[in-house]
Amino acid sequence: MTWEYIGDLILSILYTQTGVPNLEVKQLIMLAISGLFIYLAVGKKFEPLLLLPIGFGIFLVNFPLVPLMGYTEHGTPELIRAFYKYGVEWEIIPCVIFLGLGAMTDFGPLIANPKTLIIGAGAQLGVFVTYIGVLFFGFTLKEAASVGIIGGADGPTTIYLTTKLAPHLLGANALAAYSYMAMVPLIQPPIMKLLTTRSQRKIRMRQLREVSTREKLFFPLIASVLIILLVPAVAPLMGMFMFGNFMRESLVVKRLSETAQNALMNIVTIFLGLSVGATMQAEVFLNWKPLLIFGFGLIDFVICTAGGILTVHVMNLFLKDKINPLIGSAGVSAVPMSARVSHNMGIQEDPNNWLLMHAMGPNLAGVIGSAAAAGMFIAMFQ
Amino acid sequence: MKTKSSRANHTVRTIGLMVGLWCGLAISNTGWAAFGDDPEKPKPEFTRQEERMAAKLIPRGKSTSVLIEFQATGGRLLGIEGVDFDPAGQRGMDAKDFRSDLFAVTVDGISPGGEVKLSLSSNYFTQATELWVLNRASTPPWLPAGAENIERPNRVQELVVAVTDGGPLDGDGTSNGEILLVVGPRDSFWGYALGTLLIRFFGVFLVLGVLQAGMLLAGQVFQTLDRRKEAPKPLPARPATAEEPEESAESIEAEAATAIGVALHLHLAALRASAALNLEQADASSWARQGRTQIMRDRLLTHDRPGRK
Repeated sequence: MTWEYIGDLILSILYTQTGVPNLEVKQLIMLAISGLFIYLAVGKKFEPLLLLPIGFGIFLVNFPLVPLMGYTEHGTPELIRAFYKYGVEWEIIPCVIFLGLGAMTDFGPLIANPKTLIIGAGAQLGVFVTYIGVLFFGFTLKEAASVGIIGGADGPTTIYLTTKLAPHLLGANALAAYSYMAMVPLIQPPIMKLLTTRSQRKIRMRQLREVSTREKLFFPLIASVLIILLVPAVAPLMGMFMFGNFMRESLVVKRLSETAQNALMNIVTIFLGLSVGATMQAEVFLNWKPLLIFGFGLIDFVICTAGGILTVHVMNLFLKDKINPLIGSAGVSAVPMSARVSHNMGIQEDPNNWLLMHAMGPNLAGVIGSAAAAGMFIAMFQ
Repeated sequence: MKTKSSRANHTVRTIGLMVGLWCGLAISNTGWAAFGDDPEKPKPEFTRQEERMAAKLIPRGKSTSVLIEFQATGGRLLGIEGVDFDPAGQRGMDAKDFRSDLFAVTVDGISPGGEVKLSLSSNYFTQATELWVLNRASTPPWLPAGAENIERPNRVQELVVAVTDGGPLDGDGTSNGEILLVVGPRDSFWGYALGTLLIRFFGVFLVLGVLQAGMLLAGQVFQTLDRRKEAPKPLPARPATAEEPEESAESIEAEAATAIGVALHLHLAALRASAALNLEQADASSWARQGRTQIMRDRLLTHDRPGRK
């Protein structure tokens, strides 16, 4: 054994078994990006439940030689690849999240005022406009659909559709969706002011009727029948959503309902966040598409907000009891943040005008609407 | 107000930071590496069944595979290959319009200068689907094949094109008893994208409109049922007996009610007073008992000062 041999051995170990010599500039850029999202989650509390695991996922996979997102020699997926493969690629986690969301949701305001469903449909305008917009920039049809759905402001729906249509854009789409959802209180108010007059913002709406427990119990069944018959492609999402809600409203499986709302939801959120973050490896993520996705995501949100408000204006032409157009912006399904924004805007004009429960209607309609839009896209590519 | 404005400044700075970072990425060298990617490029697999051949592929803009069947009349179908749509070499045409890409079809067994009819059939084609031929030897290289689009059962469309050996569509350009046809089914990409966009957008309105109608109907039914349930039912008449004199709120006089009330108050007040005196009562919480003990100790210390004997 010579010193030369020992030197070669050390060098060989350094290059093949340690990360330092293999660290590249693009990986450093990705580490900085992960730091930004971790900062937004921890420091700014922007959607921390999702942005924190996503940020940490980006952080972990962008070190060189890490056995996280690959496959072993025997074809076994490495740790986060296994989360991704069985959770996201098999389309399980987004549906389980919808189960939890269903168990958390009180459809009372929507049942009391079903007219607001149309606002939820109008607020999908941006989804389709963006779909056309990104096609001009060279995106494929499937990529365009997955980018368009960002404006629906529904994280699990975005992830579900992107996994199905353009899995290589998953990281960028999910990040854009959750980032802009966190920024709803910044994005929406200027558009709401621009598209409404002071007197329109002061419109007081009639108090919602009381909804019986029986009505709430039957809602998930009726909604499932109608939606799944019309758009079968959306059955995995809607089926789980309505199942979760049925458990909640049945009042006989409190333990299951609470598990779906809390423990199960939290567990899958961890795996979802890490998996989505881990798709953002430097070689996949650093190209022009994520940039356009972030740009179009913002435009998408703006158009969706405007679409909801304009739908209310159109509805008011025909309605005797006018709807406050501020609740139109709640048609984007960032629950309950966009409803809260509508409420706060209303309070600014008239401190005694409580719009929150009225805004929850279009907010929930937005969830159904964005899932329906996703179903439309899935059906289109079948 | 100050806090609000500083918060807003922070948020603006954060967004600025994000925008800056993304701009940095945009101008970096690696940033533009993915231009020209075609993640949906069809990869056809060919199978032969006697005189017919079939291509199974996932076209652009679809998630499921489609089958295109090829058949030649007046010649023998020798082979078919997938041809890459090379955008640089094929100016004037957009790959997006050729969602299933191009096929190089070779037919032999025809008399030199003879004609062969080639048909492509699939339920993926529409009535608007056209066939275009790429012949690099001709100017311009792209020629409409002038194919007949025939509707077949089970929503299948058949595109039939007649090709002459050595004619303008023949890729080898010579009358040698063999035809090479580079052909692709073409649909207007933008027509499809815009058309389907409108249909899907109104589809969302339709779905939610139907749901609204269903909910309004169900709401009416449930409200009617609830109203019926809540309607006061006449109580079954109970026969009054001599032992049980009929009692009603109106039968108690105001003075008697006051007397009962005062009696109850005095009784409960007495109970509360006795409970307050009992320091070791069982229902007192542990911290309350500990507190009381502490107070008693402090009092004892006051009386038991050092030096006092």
